[in-house]
Order: sequence, then structure tokens, then C-alpha cells
Amino acid sequence: MTSDANPQLQEKGGPVIEAQGLVRRFGKLVAVSDLSLHVAAGEIYGLIGPDGAGKTTTIRMLTGLMALDGGVARVSGEDASNVGVREQLGYMPQQYALYGDLSVDENLTFFGRLFGLNRAERERRKDRLLEITRLAPFRKRRADQLSGGMYKKLALACALLHQPVALVLDEPSNGVDPVSRRELWELIYEFVSDGMAVLLSTPDMDEAARCHRVGLLHHGKLLAEGAPDALTRRFHHETLMVRTANRDALEDLLVGREEVLALSPEGAELRLVLRRGSTQALLAWAETQVGALHWEPSKPAFEDVFLGLLADPQSCSEPAATELSGGAQ
Amino acid sequence: MRTALWAIILKELRQTFRDKRTAALLIVAPVIQLIVLGFAVNLEVDHVPTAIVDLDRTPESRRFADGLVAGETFEMKGNVDTGEEAIELIDHGKVCIAVVLPAGFERSLGDGLPTQVQLLVDGGDSNRAIIAQNAATAYTTQVGFRLAMDRAQQQAAALGVFVKRPALLQVQARILYNPTLNSHIYFVPGVGGTLLLVVTVIVTSMGLAREKEAGTMEQIMVTPMSPMVVILGKTLPYALIAFVDLGLVVAGGALIFKVPIRGQLWLIGLAGILYILTTLGIGLLISTVAKSQQQSFMLAFFFMMPAILLSGFMTPIANMPHWLQLVTHFNPVRHLIEVLRAVLLKAATFSDVAPQLVALGGLGITVFLLAVMAMQRQLK
Repeated sequence: MTSDANPQLQEKGGPVIEAQGLVRRFGKLVAVSDLSLHVAAGEIYGLIGPDGAGKTTTIRMLTGLMALDGGVARVSGEDASNVGVREQLGYMPQQYALYGDLSVDENLTFFGRLFGLNRAERERRKDRLLEITRLAPFRKRRADQLSGGMYKKLALACALLHQPVALVLDEPSNGVDPVSRRELWELIYEFVSDGMAVLLSTPDMDEAARCHRVGLLHHGKLLAEGAPDALTRRFHHETLMVRTANRDALEDLLVGREEVLALSPEGAELRLVLRRGSTQALLAWAETQVGALHWEPSKPAFEDVFLGLLADPQSCSEPAATELSGGAQ
Repeated sequence: MRTALWAIILKELRQTFRDKRTAALLIVAPVIQLIVLGFAVNLEVDHVPTAIVDLDRTPESRRFADGLVAGETFEMKGNVDTGEEAIELIDHGKVCIAVVLPAGFERSLGDGLPTQVQLLVDGGDSNRAIIAQNAATAYTTQVGFRLAMDRAQQQAAALGVFVKRPALLQVQARILYNPTLNSHIYFVPGVGGTLLLVVTVIVTSMGLAREKEAGTMEQIMVTPMSPMVVILGKTLPYALIAFVDLGLVVAGGALIFKVPIRGQLWLIGLAGILYILTTLGIGLLISTVAKSQQQSFMLAFFFMMPAILLSGFMTPIANMPHWLQLVTHFNPVRHLIEVLRAVLLKAATFSDVAPQLVALGGLGITVFLLAVMAMQRQLK
């Protein structure tokens, strides 16, 4: 792929994708509030958050599909609403957005033409993308007859045909089986290694952990930002696995308590994220209610960090700001 | 820009003709509808189901009844004995008109006394009722006149006097443009105008709504092309198809319904282009409001119904209230139908149809510009 890489990718120094103080309102609802982020060349930035957090709205503003109520959105230093920016930008929306009644080949040709590629160049890039996405044997197949994974790979190929410097993916693995998902990520890594900047959104913590940096979005606000393992390291609450004869009773007892930041059943055990320093007192009290408990500390997973942050936005507030900026690994 | 426009046009045509239902809707359906509607929309009244109530049962009354149903207008559906039975037949929709010949019909005519024939007419279909009543009245008057003359000549002969038949004041009608009063010739151009309306308004508005629904519009909008390219790409293919449909309608009308082509076809072509500009603009405007294909269809339907009813296709515009007649000037269907009728039947020239062409041009440019502005605002 290196030979096909856009020469601009290597030349850019500053952030390729940049948001400063983004604001978007729908009536009285503030969907995105004062959101700032940047994605450098060769970096994968994951915008993570539950449904309704504002991920898609942020992405639509950064791709120029939605007007801003405040702030600045830039791609390659240009305002995202400029038509010229679209030459630099590849976008794969969350929902199915290709022509189901056109074949793989016809979809690629159509989008190639929209980007003004001449026939020879278009065919060369198409062949290359079909080869690396392993869709070449299916060129004549209609898009609506592809599996979920193949469809996403075709959508990715359509978004990459014009060799953008920035790639924006809205929940790319949504509706994709694990094998296809791994393939999709291999493709993303391949393009990023050529210097492309990738911004993606996901509600999936495993997927978030694959990003170089993540921003945790909740109610339209960025709660924390950094490399996933750095955020995990900085997480200062306590994570533990608790075993008891009566797991459900314990769960009912702890749900909604101020000390409990997150809890989730895992087999016969209960996984808890508790406020720092509250474990001994809380579990001692719980034992008096539901009987004997056995617990042991657990290494916080990225999901624990995320859930902890939702309950307490200060969960990762230490240490120094230099670590926060993280950067590509 | 040209590559992008070409890409959308090719994509639209490919999708249209790949989906056999859409292709049939655009090309085959207009021809079939022309044939079906052409035959169906027919105001000629003939073979009116008729009952005879002959209370006289004499040679003269039988001759009267036989003469009435001998032509094309009336078709004998039964003899009944009383007026009540005749009304019952009308009630059940078995007959539309009943002719009651009173007892003493022959004798009273023979005595030279005033004689009445009663007509019972089903007024449910007022047009048919009036035509049937007029035909029956004309027949009765004609028979009455013949009998009166015969009688006068017989009486004169008995007195040995020769009597000339009196002079008659008669109407000599010469029907221009459509001498056989074939109603297809009048209606087929109207059918053409309404079919083009369906093709252009529905297909354009639903095509854009489908892109919105499927999310493909969003994918198109992250490519570096102007909204104008999207608009032209989404309308030019259907303008072309509509133009082909117009040709098919004119050719089909001539071949199947013997609609003459007396004028210059380029005038129809010009009117067609201006008309299609208007209807495509309406399709685009609908698609800026509608969020789904279903909404598009409903809105297109709400526009099309009054547009067809107020076009003069079925009912003469001159019969509408004055204020409504003014409204019809803003109806493109009216102007196209007027041009089609004038050029096809009356060999109208450019100056004859200039008012309609100016109206179509004004509407076309205004509506299309409004639609483009609305679309651009939305797409941006």
C-alpha cells in the first residue's frame, strides 16, 4: 500500500483532524458541548461513549455534514464545511450507505467518478483495494448480497478510493462478525502505518482499546482523553471480583450505592468498581446483610475505567497533563 | 464536475433499468395506461339500457318502440307492463331509461289529439341522462312530425287537394377538427399530460427520498461535488425518460386512437421540455420536505389530484367558477394539454400557442429555480 499512499500524508506536521470548542444543539438539547480534540497523521483516535453520547453528531460536524452551533472543525487545516476538504477526507457512516442494487465494482466506479478519478487511475486503485480487502472474487456481486463484514470492507474501500489523508469511521465494526472485524482492523492499521489519520467512534471497549488514543464522551462532553493503557494506569478507584453464595442478593444490595461506580455479574462472581478507600467498609457491611463474601483485587480493564468515568468524571484526573496527551504508540 | 454528473446519470439509469418494476413503471406503464385510459375516458353515450312500457299494444305503439331501439343510442333491455315495474328496473340499475306509451296511443294519434309519451330517466349519471333524454325527445318529435304530415296529406288527398310538405328550418352542423366527434381525440392528449406528471413528479421525489432513506445521500455529500451536480444528475435521466414517454404517447395516440398530428411536433417538444422542467421542479421541492419515500408519494399525490382535476382534462375550465379558472393558470398540466390539443388537432402555430408556452416557461423556470434553491440549502 505504501506506493499508493497520498504524498501529503507524510508532509503534514500538525493535526490532520482538529475540533476546537465544538457545540451542537438540537432545540433545547445540547448534543455536543465545547468539545476539543485532534488527531495526528498516523494516529487512530477512538471516540468512545454510550449510545446518545454525541459521537455521531461530533463525527458529522467534523465531516462537514452538519452545521456547527459553535467552535471550529478542521481537516488538514481547512474548515470542514469547505467542499475542497472532501478531497482529503474519507468517511464511512455507521449505517449501510452504498447502493445495494449496484455491484461491488459499480459502487467503487461510482464513487471513483464522484471524486473525479480518471479511468486508468480509478481502475488501478480499485484493483488494489479489492485485492487488499479480498473482495476481488466478489466484484460482480450486488452490495446487498454481501455479508456484513464484506459490506463494511467495501464501504471502507469506497471511502479510501481517493486516498484521503483523514479517515472517519462511525462505529465501523457495528454488525460485523469477529473474523471480519479483525480483518477490518488489520486494514485500518495498514493505512495508518502509511500516515493516515483515523478518527473512529465506537461503543465497544475492546475496540476502543485498539486505538492509540481515546476520548471518552458522555452527554456531549469529553470526560477524559489519553492512551487506553495510560487511562487504565491512572484510574485510581478499586476493581475487584467478589464471590458469594448469593450473588443476586449482593447485586440488589449494592446497586445504586454511592460507593459503587460500576458492577456487573461475571459467571458466579460479581465484578465491582468501588470508590478508592471504600472497599473494606462497604464489603464488611455487605457481609452482615448477605453472608460471607470472598473478594480479591482485579486489574482494571478499560471497560472498568470507562464505567468509572461515567460515574465519576475525576476517576483519571491524576497524574500530570503530559501523560494525557499520550500520542501514537 | 462533468465526470461526477455523468457518474450520477449513469448510476440512475443503471438502477432504473436494472429494477424491472421501475423500468416498467417508466416506459411500459405509460403506454398501457394510455391505451386503458384512452378507451375508458369516453363521454360518448350509446347502448343506453332501455325498458319499454307499452300500455297500448297496437301496431303504432310497437312501431314507435321498434324505431326507438333501432339505432345505437338505446338498447332494449325488456318490456314491462307497468310504470312501477319500470321504476323498479331503474332502481336496480337494470335500465337507465324507460319509455311509457299510454293506453290509447294509436287511437289518440289517429284522432289527431295531443298524445304524450312518458320518459322515466335515471339521473344518477347526469351526463348520460341528459343525452338519453335529448335523444328520446328528438326521436319522439321526429315521429310526431312525420305522423302529422302523413295525416295532413291524407286529409288533403281525401279533399282532392295537393298539399306541399312545408319548408323545414334545419340545423346543418359541420364539426371542425374532429368531424366524427371521436372523444378519444380530445382525451388522449389529456392522458399524455397526466401520465408525464406521474412519471416526473413521483419518480423524482421518491428517487431523492430513497437516497435519504438509504443513507446514500450522506455518502454522496462527503464527495467534493456541488449540490447542483446532484440535482442535475438526479433529474436529467428522468427528464429524458419523460421526453421519450411524451413521444410514445403522441405516437400511441396516433396509431391506436387515430389522433391526428396536424401541427409541428417541435412545438410539442418545446412545451414538453418546459412542462418537464416544472414537474421535475415540483418533484425536487417535494423531496426537500419529505423524509421518506412514503411521504414523497403522499405529497406527490396531493399535488397531482388537483393538478389533473383543474387541467381541463375531464371537465371544461370554462365551466369552473371564475376564481378557480384563475387558479388553473398556475397549473402546468392545463397549458400542456392545451398545447397538445391545439397542435395535434388544429395545426396550431407558434403564435397560436405562445401564451401557453410563455406560461409553461414562466412556471418551469420559477419552480425549478425555487427547487434548486431549496435543494441547495438542504444539501449544504
